[in-house]
Amino acid sequence: MGEVTIGWYVALSATLFTIGALGVLLRRNAIIIFMSIELMLNAANLTFVAFARHLNDLNGQVIVFFVITVAAAEVAVGLALIVAIFRSKNSINIDELHMLKG
Amino acid sequence: MNAFGLAPLIIFIPAAGFLFNALFGRRFVDSDRKVGERWSGWVAAGAALSSFVIAVMLAASLVANDFEAVTVTILDWITIPAANFSVSWAIQVDTLAVTMMLVVAGVGSLIHIYAIGYMHGDPDFSRFFAYMNMFIFFMLILVSANNYLMLFVGWEGVGLCSYLLIGFWFDRIDEKKKPMNANAARKAFVVNRVGDFGMILALILLFWAFGSLDFDAVFHSAEEIFRSGHEISLFGTEVSIGLVLTAVTALFLVGAAGKSAQIPLYVWLPDAMAGPTPVSALIHAATMVTAGVYLIVRSNILYEIVRASGETLPLIGISSPALVAITGAATALLAGLIAFTQFDVKKVLAYSTISQLGFMIAAAGMGAYVAAMFHLIVHAFFKALLFLGSGNVIHGMEHGHHHLSEHGEESEHDGDFDPQDMRNMGGLRHRMKTTFVVFTIGALALAGVVPLAGFWSKDEILAHAEFNRQIGVEIALILAAICTAFYMGRQLSMVFLRKPRTEAASHASESPRLMTWTLIVLAALTILGGLLNVPFFSTGAARLAEEAHDLGLNLELEQWLEHSLLSLELEKADGLVDVPNTPLSVDFSVAGISTVVALAALGLALFVVYRNRPATAEDPDPLQKTPIWWFSVLPLNTLYYRTIVPAFNATASWLAHTVDWRFWHDWFHDRVIRDGYVALAHFIDKTIDMAIIDNGLVNGSARAARWCAFQLRRTQTGYIRNYALAVFLGVIVLVVYIIFVAN
Repeated sequence: MGEVTIGWYVALSATLFTIGALGVLLRRNAIIIFMSIELMLNAANLTFVAFARHLNDLNGQVIVFFVITVAAAEVAVGLALIVAIFRSKNSINIDELHMLKG
Repeated sequence: MNAFGLAPLIIFIPAAGFLFNALFGRRFVDSDRKVGERWSGWVAAGAALSSFVIAVMLAASLVANDFEAVTVTILDWITIPAANFSVSWAIQVDTLAVTMMLVVAGVGSLIHIYAIGYMHGDPDFSRFFAYMNMFIFFMLILVSANNYLMLFVGWEGVGLCSYLLIGFWFDRIDEKKKPMNANAARKAFVVNRVGDFGMILALILLFWAFGSLDFDAVFHSAEEIFRSGHEISLFGTEVSIGLVLTAVTALFLVGAAGKSAQIPLYVWLPDAMAGPTPVSALIHAATMVTAGVYLIVRSNILYEIVRASGETLPLIGISSPALVAITGAATALLAGLIAFTQFDVKKVLAYSTISQLGFMIAAAGMGAYVAAMFHLIVHAFFKALLFLGSGNVIHGMEHGHHHLSEHGEESEHDGDFDPQDMRNMGGLRHRMKTTFVVFTIGALALAGVVPLAGFWSKDEILAHAEFNRQIGVEIALILAAICTAFYMGRQLSMVFLRKPRTEAASHASESPRLMTWTLIVLAALTILGGLLNVPFFSTGAARLAEEAHDLGLNLELEQWLEHSLLSLELEKADGLVDVPNTPLSVDFSVAGISTVVALAALGLALFVVYRNRPATAEDPDPLQKTPIWWFSVLPLNTLYYRTIVPAFNATASWLAHTVDWRFWHDWFHDRVIRDGYVALAHFIDKTIDMAIIDNGLVNGSARAARWCAFQLRRTQTGYIRNYALAVFLGVIVLVVYIIFVAN
């Protein structure tokens, strides 16, 4: 199987990102969508860290801190939105949120 | 003195008078009768008098200018450079034109003054004077023109004024409910038109032959072509100048026959007596009817060339000037005979005018242009005098008639009383003394009694005929002179002498001073007029006068006119040069014969035939049993009424009903124009406006926009997953772009 090169890490990130993207596009449950978004963000994080190690540059790892912070803030806001929507519609099926249909 | 610059005023002052009376006259007259009439009438008379004063000044300027003609241009009317043709409105001030101006303006002003009195009380007072001034305007254009086209403008204009003035009282109808004045006016115009037809043809021919209508150009080139023997090219063939001018002069004769009442176009003049008497005096005695004579005298060079070339008219075999002379002589005789049978005082004078015009035309045809002009001038004097005198008589008879009806004496039926019928008159010499005296002077002058003016002029014409051995013309003219003397004696007797035949006549009154004073002036002119061209009594005296002439003295009409009559100069054997074919001294034989026969005829009329008859109004005229009475049938008059009037009426009726109404109004206007327009409007409305513009463009663009919006709206599903997918796809596109394309 050889050594674990940078390619492995990128492939893993790509896989995770793809799964996350498909989750955003294909799942109906709002919480699952948020989970998928988190997955995408973490895939990006993994890519940053792998390249930081590979290029011996610590800037990669610093960016990961920023991304994690942003992801946390975004989840907070997003979950608050879902609670508000549930309160009015009693469901978080995003297919039911088509009031902006033109 | 140099008054040539004033020449245009001679025409424009009467025009101003016309405008004043046409625009403001009625207001003046209607507001205050007395003052208004004075303004209206005296403005008109003043305009005529101003023209006369200017004419005198022009005459004096001519004398100072050595009798050289001067042309004063007013404006350039027609200019066609391609054809090298131009006609301008220019006044030719030469002795002939000035002579005519003096006659027209002078006699015209006297008649205007007379008419102020005559037309007093008429509701259309100002309209009368407007027309009179317009007539003077056109007549002066005619005589002052320097080319044939302007002459024709004046020619037509006086024809129009004649129509307007004859039909002045256009609503008067006679017993048979016919509008006699309107008919008379129309007859004058229509018959004149026949003459105008000849004139127009002549003008066209002149233009084709000479390329110009100016007098100077035509006369000089005609003389040049004649002397050099060249030929004129017309429509590709070469014709001799004699032939062309024969046609032109014959057509001028047609025009003159219409205007100056010669055979066969004289029929309008007796009917024209339906107009007011001043109109008869001015237009039909002194001025308009002389336009034909003026035309021939002005074109004297053309007639002389025809005479010298010896060309004759086809079918008749006589030359054109000879035809003119014969027409004039025949008219003189025929009219003189017809005058015997007339009962209307004005109709006698009308036929007398035709007869005297015949004298003038005959003189012009024989080449005696100076004699023709001399007779024209003196005839204007005494004929105007006679007409105005008859106006006095008619006025007096009307007064007498009113006087009677006021006093309740209904001895005649009112509707039938004709104040102009001579059978109702008689004995007026006691009631109207001044009129009697002046009328007698005029009558004697017309009859040719020495030493009044008529004798000298008529005698000159007869002497001319004798000198040139035109026997036929001479005999006809002498017979006409006998007739003239006779019917004037008849008229004098029936109107003034003996005893009044009706009550109205015995109550007739003299006219107001204004009217009689103008007559006195005319009578003075009649007495003195002969001095204008007194002939010499021997050849020696003629030679003396010739020498005086060379020194610059111009004593006589002949010498005065010589400067305008561009005749072919002939030198006689004893070195005397004059207008061709004119005798230089009096011919005692002719003078003697004519005086004797005239006096004899006059005496016959006064003392034999009309001595005591007719005694009463119903008494027949003593001549009625003689063959002369057959001339009271006017074949030409009846011909006119049987042929021309029905044809005219039928044509007018057809034009009105068929052409105007059925074709023009019904078919053309309704079906073609109206329906076509409506169809066009419908097409524009439905097809273009509604379908294409409204539906197609306006609505269509709206529909297109809506379709686009509809299609675009399909992306707005409202489903978050669709939006997420879109974002995702966009990101992929951008990444691909950055990786593959942007590097």
